[in-house]
Amino acid sequence: MKSLLRQHRYALAVTLRRLIAQPISSLTNLLVIALALALPLLGASLLISVEPVARQVSVTPELTIFLKIDAAPNAADQLAKRIRSEHHDQTSGVRVIPKDRALKDLRENPAWEQALKVLPNNPLPDAVVVTFTPGEDLAARAEELARIWRSWPNVDLVQLDSAWVQRLEALLRFGKVGLFLLGLSVMLVVLATVFNTVRMQALSQREEIGVARLVGATEGFVRRPFLYLGALTCTLAALVSIGIARVALIPLNDALASLARSYDAEFALALPSILVLTLAVLSVACLGALSARWSVERNTRF
Amino acid sequence: MIEFQHVFKSYGQGRSILADISFKVSPGEFVYVAGPSGAGKSTLLKLIGGLEAPSRGSIQVNGQRLENLSPRARPYLRRAVGVILQDTHLLYDRSVIDNVLLPLAVTGLATEIARARARAALEKVGLSAKENAPPIELSGGEQQRLAIARAIVNRPAILIADEPTASLDRETARRIMSVFKDFNRVGVTTLIASHDDDLMAEYATRAFKIDPGRFADSADRRAPANKSTVSNQSPERTEPSLGEDA
Repeated sequence: MKSLLRQHRYALAVTLRRLIAQPISSLTNLLVIALALALPLLGASLLISVEPVARQVSVTPELTIFLKIDAAPNAADQLAKRIRSEHHDQTSGVRVIPKDRALKDLRENPAWEQALKVLPNNPLPDAVVVTFTPGEDLAARAEELARIWRSWPNVDLVQLDSAWVQRLEALLRFGKVGLFLLGLSVMLVVLATVFNTVRMQALSQREEIGVARLVGATEGFVRRPFLYLGALTCTLAALVSIGIARVALIPLNDALASLARSYDAEFALALPSILVLTLAVLSVACLGALSARWSVERNTRF
Repeated sequence: MIEFQHVFKSYGQGRSILADISFKVSPGEFVYVAGPSGAGKSTLLKLIGGLEAPSRGSIQVNGQRLENLSPRARPYLRRAVGVILQDTHLLYDRSVIDNVLLPLAVTGLATEIARARARAALEKVGLSAKENAPPIELSGGEQQRLAIARAIVNRPAILIADEPTASLDRETARRIMSVFKDFNRVGVTTLIASHDDDLMAEYATRAFKIDPGRFADSADRRAPANKSTVSNQSPERTEPSLGEDA
């Protein structure tokens, strides 16, 4: 066991010596891999940051029923009563917003105040806001109820407030697929870069490999430094990519903060959790070692 | 112990190098392998070191039949056979002592013990003072001695050397041969391929002569009472070129 550990220590020392012996080449490889890894990392940051927003909004979906302008004054109350009695199992709340109250609320907004002053009558209809009970098939249920209520008398328009959330979720799904494909491409870039690095190293270390075999080195002993080379390069590149992503998020968040403020909201992109980042670094290290093994097996057959 | 039984070696489409070679070398012998260039001296040594495989026949080295040896077991045989090739194959980007440490790193020996053994090996070949120098700064003779130190540091039972004194002056060649003789005296079986009959006659106790298609063993000239080892079955044998029991 101690002997094996010593051999691993020796392989690690050989790897570091080879990396230091060609600093420009080593740094270039490391930067190429780091930049490639930074792209999916930034994509993951975006998805991870946006997903909770969509989830939070979608847990309280609401639907607004606007009545016809000429509907009777008690039509909204009757509609609310009918919804409570016929769909009580699917709704958790039904609120009536009379047109007078809606106008009053609107007038409190300075942006609308001037425009409303010139209107002779209240242009707003009575409205009923329905909150759904959460559940698995919420979107489908909401769509179905909206379809039913549209056909009821005095109903002018049914507006599903969660529609934009659905669009956001669809965008997130699209983003996830895109990120997956980007991740695959980056994986190929990492594989190719490590494969080529190890190939070049194996060719330049031909003499040393020959001597090692001559004095009784096993194939494991010969390959080990190359596996460390792949794993170490990828580990360092992954750490550098986290640094790059972190730095890139600073100006992105500054720009995003201005946008969010204009919507009276707060939103910022954040890197994935430490656990996720650690797993990502380990996965990339394994990928590097696997690529190195593949390369060293092909390029040390002499 | 080394034993060849009807060994053939050919390359490509029938280019025969060794044909029907049989012999036995007992532990502690000092064998000189003679013959013209291209006769197969290097091939014979490479077969012993497990660096090449025979086309036919059986080879036993240090108690192991090479034809039965798996690729995984081959490196362990090489640790028991110190090999010095014509080109010293030194690592020029490492120091003298690092070159000698390589065979010990392969075995996973503890650093302190490995360093002590490497220094002892360098002392035996007279290179103690240059342990931190790069091999490129050594003379031809010193580089050859470094290759010997690397070959013996793992305390092999068998030492094989291919033309270790080629391109060296007489005095340096003698110093190199003395180093081999010292190891042979402590029981290391030694086989050296060389063109230098006179020099080898001074040190070797037995000689093989390989000519294309022929193999001769000086031990064959000994009386039957000599139990040595030889059972050359080659159909065309010639007398060895080395002198009496040389």
